[in-house]
Amino acid sequence: MEEKLSANSTRFVENLRVYLFSSGKKDEEIDDIIHELEDHLYEAELKGKSIEKIIGSSPKEYMQSISKEMNTDYKGWAKYIPLLIVGSFSYTVFKDLLSGPLSYGILTIIGSIIYSLLFFAGVMAALRYTASRQVTRKKEFFIFLLPTVLSTLFIGAILLIDLLYPSPIIEFGVLGSSIIGILLLISIIIFSIWTKTAILPVTLLALYLPELALSQTSLNEVTRMIISMITTYIIIGAYLLIILKREKVKVQ
Amino acid sequence: MIFSMSQTQMMKGILDGCLLAIIKEKECYGYEMTEELSQYGFDAISEGTIYPLLLRMQREGLVTSVRKDSIAGPKRKYYSLTNEGEQALDNFLKRWTQLEKSVNAIIKKG
Repeated sequence: MEEKLSANSTRFVENLRVYLFSSGKKDEEIDDIIHELEDHLYEAELKGKSIEKIIGSSPKEYMQSISKEMNTDYKGWAKYIPLLIVGSFSYTVFKDLLSGPLSYGILTIIGSIIYSLLFFAGVMAALRYTASRQVTRKKEFFIFLLPTVLSTLFIGAILLIDLLYPSPIIEFGVLGSSIIGILLLISIIIFSIWTKTAILPVTLLALYLPELALSQTSLNEVTRMIISMITTYIIIGAYLLIILKREKVKVQ
Repeated sequence: MIFSMSQTQMMKGILDGCLLAIIKEKECYGYEMTEELSQYGFDAISEGTIYPLLLRMQREGLVTSVRKDSIAGPKRKYYSLTNEGEQALDNFLKRWTQLEKSVNAIIKKG
């Protein structure tokens, strides 16, 4: 776009986008109102008006007033929830698949589902909170740390309870485990297309491929562990480098 | 309706009516509306206030919008009234005339 907004307005518009996104609004509707406001801010700034003249003294109240008038896209979000649950499961399940058919306690399965929902809701709430207020970097860090710590404590407690007082275990067998593995692969592909990043498959490969490949060799366990750890870091590092380079090209 | 509202709600109800009247006059975009409002003395309100109102009026089917190229460059969203919008404006005008009459009657009593 040929329009150039002041730093203040740009930050406000970016925050509004995050706020509306984390409030579950539809992408097209978000684009629409953002575009309209950008045009307005641009014209207003040309005439020397301050951003306060447009949005009032409280960005938070203004964001809320916009959000209130937009439909929340529950259906659109509901579609992604199973995907998010699968995404967060994939690390553990893949690791367990490598060592044979799957079996989990019922409590662990239910707890893990609640855990990913809790984590997701917490991060969305943190996004809404930080986008609508002026918070320092330090405070922002702690606000995002909160849902992470709380949900980790939750799943930790669940796993501990399941260990001390085992709930009935579901054995998935070879067929069941294979189906879960295939479903997992499909969801990872959908997830990657949806988020337009390959971060999930790359990190999964980086974590488990070296280990799997090395288990076919005759190297001793310590050497294998060291080599696989180094390979993991190299793969993830290389991926991040490629992404950074691409972003730089985009900016230029 | 206008009588039972809190002060800010009453202000919003009045703004709604003014926006409908401005849009009825000619198809226009957000910034134009705020210029018009401020020209007629509504310059104390923050300009962005109109967008939540426009979103609501659009959802209620009072206005429709289309994106059009402007001479200045960027595409702009132009609003126009629907039949329901015209109806809402008529209702507003009736309520407003009644309110104005009542207020004037009280003020000029003495």
